[in-house]
Amino acid sequence: MECVVQGIIETQHVEALEILLQGLCGVHRERLRIHELCLKSGPNLGLVASEVRLLCDLEQPEPTWTVRHIGGAMRGAGAEQLSVLVRTLAESKVSKNALRLFYSLGYKLDHELLRVGFAFHFQRGAQITVTVSSVNKMLKLHTTDEAVPVTPGIQLVEVTAPASSENYTEVVAAVSSFCEYLAPLLHLSKPGVSTGVVPTAAAAAASLMSDGDEDGDGDGKEVVWHILLSCGLLQY
Amino acid sequence: MPIKWILHWQPNAGTTVNSQILAEVSQCAEGINGIKEGRWKATISFYRAMTREQANANEFPRDFLGISLAEQPGKYYLVLKGQRLVVEAESSIQMIMEKLQSYKTRVALNFEGNQYQLGDFQLRVGKVAPMQSESLRGIVMEMEYLPISSWEKSHQIMGEFFDLWQEALSKRSLPGHFVHIEPNFSEFGLSDQYTSQHTAVQYASIMAQTIATAQSVQPVRN
Repeated sequence: MECVVQGIIETQHVEALEILLQGLCGVHRERLRIHELCLKSGPNLGLVASEVRLLCDLEQPEPTWTVRHIGGAMRGAGAEQLSVLVRTLAESKVSKNALRLFYSLGYKLDHELLRVGFAFHFQRGAQITVTVSSVNKMLKLHTTDEAVPVTPGIQLVEVTAPASSENYTEVVAAVSSFCEYLAPLLHLSKPGVSTGVVPTAAAAAASLMSDGDEDGDGDGKEVVWHILLSCGLLQY
Repeated sequence: MPIKWILHWQPNAGTTVNSQILAEVSQCAEGINGIKEGRWKATISFYRAMTREQANANEFPRDFLGISLAEQPGKYYLVLKGQRLVVEAESSIQMIMEKLQSYKTRVALNFEGNQYQLGDFQLRVGKVAPMQSESLRGIVMEMEYLPISSWEKSHQIMGEFFDLWQEALSKRSLPGHFVHIEPNFSEFGLSDQYTSQHTAVQYASIMAQTIATAQSVQPVRN
């Protein structure tokens, strides 16, 4: 299972978001370059249609592949009330000919994307991952070198955390709580629930980008605290 | 990784396989000073496409196997023999296949038995039985040579050991013999350096014969 929320941010504010995340997470970002192939079952295969994703991590010295199956979201009144989506997820690393295997089994390429950006992985009540990426489409089949943004000027932010049926309420709380810190720059919500960009983003980004290093240690964290204080998210 | 040959028992025409033959084979391994050192188990599952119309099932591969091997407890191997495809995955791929519901495992076979150390060789003697059943439907062996990882370089010594083994076994006048099939690994994109993917391909290669032998065994009646 995983808990997930998404949001969008204007590309011009991504650098500010990175500074904020760096301050909050206390870890270095990792570069992200993932070729995602979404496969769907052919017309006669299966009693119901099925979908599977193959992800190729192009940042590694040798590209590595993962198969991912995203399952249904948790349902019910309790789930509706949560601000975070909880859904089943199954993944497996695979050797590089997995795409040929699924084609041979009767799956077809529905669409492919290239996600380029960065990610932060850290522990804060749960094992949280924040990815900030531009989503790009390929003009020709599999040509990752010739990809163009699907939404120029806008990037996707995703916050995810693995969960189980025993601990998902704690993980949901940890993710929600973390997302509040990002509120000045972007609003995060369940995938499929779009909220647009945040009106305070420009002002918040400007503050983050200014030289706010009050104690001279070079990391500008004071700027982060000022923003969070001014938004009422932190108290003295 | 050490080289391994997978051998399957070929009964003589008109005969079948039974647990007495398995006992004789095990005794033979001990007879040539094999030291028994534990159990081993592998599993092969046969995947079948799920289709709404019966006729459409023929559009999809009928030779899709899922294999788990004793020496790789966290891994699972998917083989499409006709396409010369072998994929190494984590065991969680089985859960993904279950969730997709496009292919289901109808039949599974267990391969299990004892393991013997003989100098630089390791022998595994295994009974083939359907999952959820103890009834013996075949016999396989794994013959491993620990010092070498190159398929080419190991060929001579493996051949010599195999001949030695066949000779020792022939003294027991059993109604059959072990056969080694050598797949064309390069067609599967595999190199000369031996890996568990090579083992998975060897198991896939003996399936036709293993099934034929299994079908020749009289079903056990309660």
